Amino acid sequence: MPHKPVLRRLAVPFAVAAVTLAACGTSEPDAPAADSADWSAVLSDAKGQTVNWYMYGGDDALNAFVKDEVAPRLAKRGVTLKQVRITDTADAVNKVLGEKQAGRTSGGAVDAIWVNGENFATGVQADIWSCGWADDLPNAKYVDLTADAVKSDFGVPVDGCEAAWQQASSALVYDSADLDPADVASVDSLLAWAKTNPGKFTYPAPPDFTGSMAVRSLLYDQIGGPSTLAGAFDEQAYTKATAGFYDRLNQIEPSLWRQGETYPTSQAAIEKLYADGEISAYFTYGPGAVATQVTDGTYPESTREAIPSSGNISNYSFITIPKNAAHRSAAFVLADTLQDPEVQLALFEATGAYPGIDVSRTSETTQRTFADVPQSPSVLSLEELSANAQPELASAYLTRIEKDWTAQVLQK
Amino acid sequence: MTTLSVVTGSPAVRRALLLAPAMLVIGVFFVGGFAQAIAQSLGHQPLLGGGRWSLDAYRVAADDPAVRSSIALTLRIGILSTVLATTLGVGFALVVRRLGAGRAWLTRLFQGTLAVPHLVGALCIALLLSPSGMTSRTAHAVGLVDDAQQFPALTQDGFGWGIIAEYVWKETPFIAVIALAAMSVNLQRLEDVSRTLGAAPWQRLRHVTLPMLSAPVGAAALLVLAFTMGSYEVPVLLGRPFPAPLSVVTYQTFNDTDLTSRPEAMAIAVLLATLTTMIAAGYLVVTQLARRRHA
Repeated sequence: MPHKPVLRRLAVPFAVAAVTLAACGTSEPDAPAADSADWSAVLSDAKGQTVNWYMYGGDDALNAFVKDEVAPRLAKRGVTLKQVRITDTADAVNKVLGEKQAGRTSGGAVDAIWVNGENFATGVQADIWSCGWADDLPNAKYVDLTADAVKSDFGVPVDGCEAAWQQASSALVYDSADLDPADVASVDSLLAWAKTNPGKFTYPAPPDFTGSMAVRSLLYDQIGGPSTLAGAFDEQAYTKATAGFYDRLNQIEPSLWRQGETYPTSQAAIEKLYADGEISAYFTYGPGAVATQVTDGTYPESTREAIPSSGNISNYSFITIPKNAAHRSAAFVLADTLQDPEVQLALFEATGAYPGIDVSRTSETTQRTFADVPQSPSVLSLEELSANAQPELASAYLTRIEKDWTAQVLQK
Repeated sequence: MTTLSVVTGSPAVRRALLLAPAMLVIGVFFVGGFAQAIAQSLGHQPLLGGGRWSLDAYRVAADDPAVRSSIALTLRIGILSTVLATTLGVGFALVVRRLGAGRAWLTRLFQGTLAVPHLVGALCIALLLSPSGMTSRTAHAVGLVDDAQQFPALTQDGFGWGIIAEYVWKETPFIAVIALAAMSVNLQRLEDVSRTLGAAPWQRLRHVTLPMLSAPVGAAALLVLAFTMGSYEVPVLLGRPFPAPLSVVTYQTFNDTDLTSRPEAMAIAVLLATLTTMIAAGYLVVTQLARRRHA
């Protein structure tokens, strides 16, 4: 029978192809995940699971915190942490969207995402988030669940679909060898300084997350805070608030880096410009991380931070869980662990990130330790950062501002 | 004899069956992916529950200033990088072939650069050519410019010099390696024959060497063109946010937090694929005509 080996040779690749296709089409059946309200069931269900946490991986201090602080605590609860480092949150959201498009309703690869308001809104649009669990976490008692910025993320109701774990506060980073405190007291004085020192200030082009914040900071300054734009998107309010705003941004272009002919594309790019001495000031969402940059010599010793008189922008970072997550219970445990006051303290010490919990709800010892964390002279204290913090706008405003900025400033 | 043995015994059918697994993969991932892109560019929106068939996405893309100013830039970067890399690569290969002992060493150097990822190449170009980079600092140190800011902008520039420099730097050795491999003993013999028949060096190059190189180098140049027109990370690191090549515009539109932008992203992707295919097809037609005339 000379044809038999041929058939046998064919059988293997076909079987492989068939299995591959089958794996694409269907998904493994999962046991129903434990109810978040029954925490002991969650804990026992999570034992032995591996949680795939998709998060921004470009911050060494934060990565060290995850490896040294979060992973061992999860291991104690029988959960293995797999940190999946990504450069853009949209990548993780796209992965879940792709799974949804392929009909994968369970056994998904993404268990938890460190998400921001805009990407959260994308997921709400496609209905991919698991909801109604965040308030059930035991450590949620430390979080001020009634705060506006915790109840709604960039204007999108949170509805227990995500759990707060840190707070981002914006600040202006500047080199005090080039600018005086008077130059950074307000946006006006900053722009006046830029005019006499052309090329030494710029911001990343939106839709970069931080570039978008920088543009909003300038807008807040023009309209005296975000109060006229509070709530859902309103065309009339938007038109009124931005009257003349983009013209003003075009007018300051000659004072910007490269005469505003172009803008850096990312926060990483603008930090490099500052480290290289090409620019002397920039806006950041992570003022705490600046201390490390100064210590390791990337930034000059004379680096300082300021909050312009119009206030700084503040928002919460959240952990969200996709509906099709394979290890939902482990993801609950991760979200809960991140809200643990001790973990929050370690996060603050390691990265300078402002805690996602309300510190006044923790024990007095913890509060004192928070207050005693030594501060680099280059960074602002928690009090200074939160003194005049302003809320974010609804994500529909953000998208509109980014689009209009692109059309009326970048492409002009 | 069963029917099955007759069927599997035929060489054509056997070949087809053996190729089937590979074709299946190409079919699913390439053809399937492209078909999905076309479907989504025509309004199919699986994430938002269906959608409506229309050419709206193409209309939006045609009106988008980001896309309009991108087409010329994409073509400029793709064609200029390919032409420069091909010319330089063939030139280097011809020079290297003349070298005696240095040939093996230089060939290895060319091959070495193939292993460098484009991302690393782009970072090197940034370190070299950016306003705070080595070239500008050197120019400042030797007094060519008074201030680093006076140095001409070679990265994030409007023309795309930084991007082109990276592609030429990376792709020239690739072309050179292909050309060197094509300069076989056979070519040497043909050249020797033409020399004994009295052909001058320039004639040998024009009528023997270059025609022999044209097929493999042409194929390699097509690869370079397709790559440089579709690559993302180099222009994102060395280019401007506006105008940006189509690959960057596609990705940015795809990553828009508003999912209703996805059809436009897919429309731009289809446009990019069509542009690249058209240039490649045009090149093939021209070379076929030239070859026929030559023959």
